[in-house]
Amino acid sequence: MNVWKYKRISPKVIAAKLSLIKPEDMANLAGRNLTYIQSMLTKTQYRPEIIAMPTEKLSSLSLETAFLKNFIRTCEKIMEWSPKDIRFLLHVVLKKLEVGNIKAMLRAKVANIRVDEALEYITPVGRLNEARCRRILESSNNVNDVVELLLDLEYGLVLMDVLREYEKTGVLLLLEIALDKYVYGELWRAAEKLNGLDKKIAETVLGIEIASVNIKVILRCRAMGSSEDKIRRNLIPISGVFEGKELEETIEVADIEAFVKRLSTIPKLSLTRDYQYMLTDIQREYSASRSLPRLETALDKSLLKTNRRMLKRYTPFFNIGLILAFLNLKWFEVRNLRAIVNGIEDGVSPSKIRKLLILPI
Amino acid sequence: MSVELVGIHPTRLELLRLRRRRALADGIIDILKKDLEALIVTLFEFLKQIPSIRDQMYQAQNEAYDLFIEAKMITGSKKIEELSLVAQPTDFDITTGTKKGVLGISFPSFGFTEGTARISEPRFSILDSPASLDESALRMRGALKYIIRLAEAEASIREILEVISIKKRQINRLEYRILPELDAAIRYIELILEETERQDAIRVRVLQRKRKERATKLS
Repeated sequence: MNVWKYKRISPKVIAAKLSLIKPEDMANLAGRNLTYIQSMLTKTQYRPEIIAMPTEKLSSLSLETAFLKNFIRTCEKIMEWSPKDIRFLLHVVLKKLEVGNIKAMLRAKVANIRVDEALEYITPVGRLNEARCRRILESSNNVNDVVELLLDLEYGLVLMDVLREYEKTGVLLLLEIALDKYVYGELWRAAEKLNGLDKKIAETVLGIEIASVNIKVILRCRAMGSSEDKIRRNLIPISGVFEGKELEETIEVADIEAFVKRLSTIPKLSLTRDYQYMLTDIQREYSASRSLPRLETALDKSLLKTNRRMLKRYTPFFNIGLILAFLNLKWFEVRNLRAIVNGIEDGVSPSKIRKLLILPI
Repeated sequence: MSVELVGIHPTRLELLRLRRRRALADGIIDILKKDLEALIVTLFEFLKQIPSIRDQMYQAQNEAYDLFIEAKMITGSKKIEELSLVAQPTDFDITTGTKKGVLGISFPSFGFTEGTARISEPRFSILDSPASLDESALRMRGALKYIIRLAEAEASIREILEVISIKKRQINRLEYRILPELDAAIRYIELILEETERQDAIRVRVLQRKRKERATKLS
């Protein structure tokens, strides 16, 4: 493994990591008001986005947009500093946000809302900048038109494959699932292209992320009483540990506790450690709360814990672990800030807001 | 209260008929008062149910709103709004009917029926929404059942109140209109009959006196 490729990026990522909001400061924000949060954020990395916010009305909505824009800017900056192979992986990470914009455009077309209204749901990123999204929305009358206008990007072809089924059923979720499967597939392929320790770390972190997405899908679909076929349709068919067939077999298990126990027996021995930690966490959380939302929070927390474990397990300066950990920390920071501003606006008590925060403690 | 006495025949037969009517009216008032009592008891039973149903409804709604706010906090209000653009509306129906209750009154009955269309399909993208959004929708569906039960109880109360007001009007009409009319008519006939009796008695006495005078003259 060539450690020299990290000589430029590692110090910058460490510096960026130091500028993240400290967990205790984040927890304290839960008891403040939006004006305080806005002024506090002008002293952080969020300053450019906060200053660019429309001044007439301070709301959770405008702050949310600023947080997401900051996340995108941070990702782009790290991509700029990254060596080629890692840049490719980060490019795919940004594709997740591009997919979010495509979903927003498709939803806007189904709901038949005005272009300006639809653009409010879009955060320009990568190849889907505001001008392009506006052009697509203005020149299309329905979902089929949007798909045709996206044919120059890989998303168009992905959507084309399921368009006929969508036309038959009218279920937009089919298109959304296809996009999710594609982007996670790309993410996995990007991780596979890495070498040595980078590959191992990326596969563990992304594998945990995909596994937690699949666990969420299975549990939520089962709670809704969906048929096994429908659950299978929603699963992301990629995993570092769970074989597709084995994961599908767990769908038949009766209750959530038995489901988690069954999952713990599946992982391949060589990669099992981090998955076992995750499964123990969610098993403990579910036994205590018996609540699916709490279990989801435990899954998100376990992703953050995995990142921290990667940093502790391997020397942090010469591998991808630091970059992935920083990106996840940044994402959860954005998510926590979003939870705080929305909670404050809805009059949620600080203690309740703090319970929803995912902090690296 | 002025009572219309025109057209009443001041005869004994009419008096007996009116007395019979009065006794019947008294009987009807008794029955109506008993009905009223039964209705008031039922009304209180329904009224007792209302706070508990309302509490259950508020609890279910609060839980649903709390989970919705939680979903908003996790995913962001913008994303929730975006998801709502294409979310399938909850498929349910309310059946209306009637059921027999106290005194054979037909009370409205509302039934909650869940639609079969895509009940087990995820309504929003699972990857873009948290589980609390599903839970919130589920709790709101539970709250709907309480809303319908509350509507049914309130409609029944309205029905009972309507019947109570009809019964009260009937009792009042009997007590304050029919009975005074009958009493006045009875009193009127009794007075006329008494007057007639007095006149007859005087006439008899005069005739007796004249007969006596004629007998004295002849002797």
